[in-house]
Amino acid sequence: MSLSQTLTATGETRPRVSARPIGDRVMHALTFGSAILVLLVLGGVFVSLIHGSLPAIRAFGLGFITSQSWNPVTEIFGAAAPIYGTLLTSAIALFIAVPVGLGISVFLTELSPAWLARPIAIAIELLAGIPSIIYGIWGLFVLAPFLQQTFQPWIIDKASYVPGLAQLFAGPPYGIGVFTAAIILSIMILPFISSVTRDVFETVPPMLKEAAYGLGSTKWEVVKNVVIPHTRAGVIGAIMLALGRALGETMAVTFVIGNAHKIATSLLAPGTTISATIANEFTEATGDLYTSSLIALGLILFVVTFIVLAAARLMLHRMEQRGK
Amino acid sequence: MNAEAMTNVRAAGLKEKISIRNLSFYYDQSKALKDISLPLYEKTVTAFIGPSGCGKSTLLRILNRIYELYPKQRAEGEVLMDGQNILTSKEPADSLRSKIGMVFQKPTPFPMSIYENIAFGVRLYEKLSKSEMDERVESALRRAALWEEVKDKLHTSGQGLSGGQQQRLCIARSVAVKPEVILLDEPCSALDPISTAKIEELIDELKTDYTIAIVTHNMQQAARCTSFAAFMYLGELIEFDTTEKLFTSPSHPKTQEYITGRFG
Repeated sequence: MSLSQTLTATGETRPRVSARPIGDRVMHALTFGSAILVLLVLGGVFVSLIHGSLPAIRAFGLGFITSQSWNPVTEIFGAAAPIYGTLLTSAIALFIAVPVGLGISVFLTELSPAWLARPIAIAIELLAGIPSIIYGIWGLFVLAPFLQQTFQPWIIDKASYVPGLAQLFAGPPYGIGVFTAAIILSIMILPFISSVTRDVFETVPPMLKEAAYGLGSTKWEVVKNVVIPHTRAGVIGAIMLALGRALGETMAVTFVIGNAHKIATSLLAPGTTISATIANEFTEATGDLYTSSLIALGLILFVVTFIVLAAARLMLHRMEQRGK
Repeated sequence: MNAEAMTNVRAAGLKEKISIRNLSFYYDQSKALKDISLPLYEKTVTAFIGPSGCGKSTLLRILNRIYELYPKQRAEGEVLMDGQNILTSKEPADSLRSKIGMVFQKPTPFPMSIYENIAFGVRLYEKLSKSEMDERVESALRRAALWEEVKDKLHTSGQGLSGGQQQRLCIARSVAVKPEVILLDEPCSALDPISTAKIEELIDELKTDYTIAIVTHNMQQAARCTSFAAFMYLGELIEFDTTEKLFTSPSHPKTQEYITGRFG
């Protein structure tokens, strides 16, 4: 038998495997469809947001973003105050929650005795599971009065002697306000930061840590120079996840922020955020322009969140480039 | 060690850098090392051989007290370095470890540049000027026979090097902090033959200044680059002797069986 004949002979077994491509094709179509669905949903949301906010965009143009006025009677709307409130509360919340969250996960992975690590880890998971409405009523009925009577008078008094700080912590202690909302937010995002960073800290190879200890590093030096740099992508991911949550958080913030459409220099003054405004005012938005302005706010939140995520991606990419 | 070898050691004027005496080690309840006693002579290379799980790596991990990082691991007995028992001394583990370098089975470059990988350890214990640090980094890389390959990319990530280069970087890193003892835990197990040969040359070079202990599964390697050898089996030290004696006429039948490849 020649070589070609041999090949033809073995080729006869081929029909047996021909059933497989159909299964493959079905699987391909199903998974492809699921993946495309994400794009369709995202695109759909975006398009309908734009469509809904068109009347507001036509009426106010770019001034919508820069204007502070929010007057349902004269139907003049501007988004500056809610945008400012959203960014400010999220920034303060991160400022508080990132160090504490990293502290928790460093303690759990590097320092804690085993008998303490488990209860703390479970408590963090539970903290993440508390519905935001509960944070809201707790904030309104417990935290805000507490801050009003203790922390706020104290900081107003102390800050008044320091130029710069005096403006930041000025005014009567309302209890509710931007600062209180930021504290509630920081508590809400804390579990995200600490549980994700704890998981990524645990991925650091023990040998790598031993190598650093082997050179004579202390625990702090190992954490600072090896554990955190090794896991920086995961740490930044955790922070961005938390930021995403903070930007969009509605219920708890609505309870304690005061819902005032103005930009105040004092952190203790009432303010508002995009999501709080939408949630508060949708039912009473009677005019078309009012409704459209609220939808335009939603569009802005969508874009802000997108920009934050894109910036995070870019930052990670830069870091990886430098790492090479 | 037999009497004849003992006489040779005395004649060579070798000093015991580390003396391990009646050392036992426990992982929780299970006893991993049983009553080990042996010396590591100054400026020589000592090989630790034996089948997997016999306690070689465990022994190295006691010498720089890295086992203390884990709860439920404890050592009993004495490890004397220059006459001081390091297991009970008041000296903090981190300052002890700066005197005893360790290189692991797999390369462990830190997530930072090649330069920083070396400067990191030095900075922990010394304050050097920029130029002194540059010099230290260069000399460490030269000692590890890596300088020529990396001198143009010192500020790129150490994790971008090949496996063999990474391992030499780790050796350079240990050398840079000027330790007294270097522990090598199967340093070539993840490397190709060329990188292995480079590291063996390096070990030969380093022994003029350092006391070296190396765990290896490679009999030829042990025979090539060490002066003393210890054969361990199931947590016990079966035989300790000069490498030449242990490989040519071992006194224990188990050693004979292991080095000729009949088990392990």
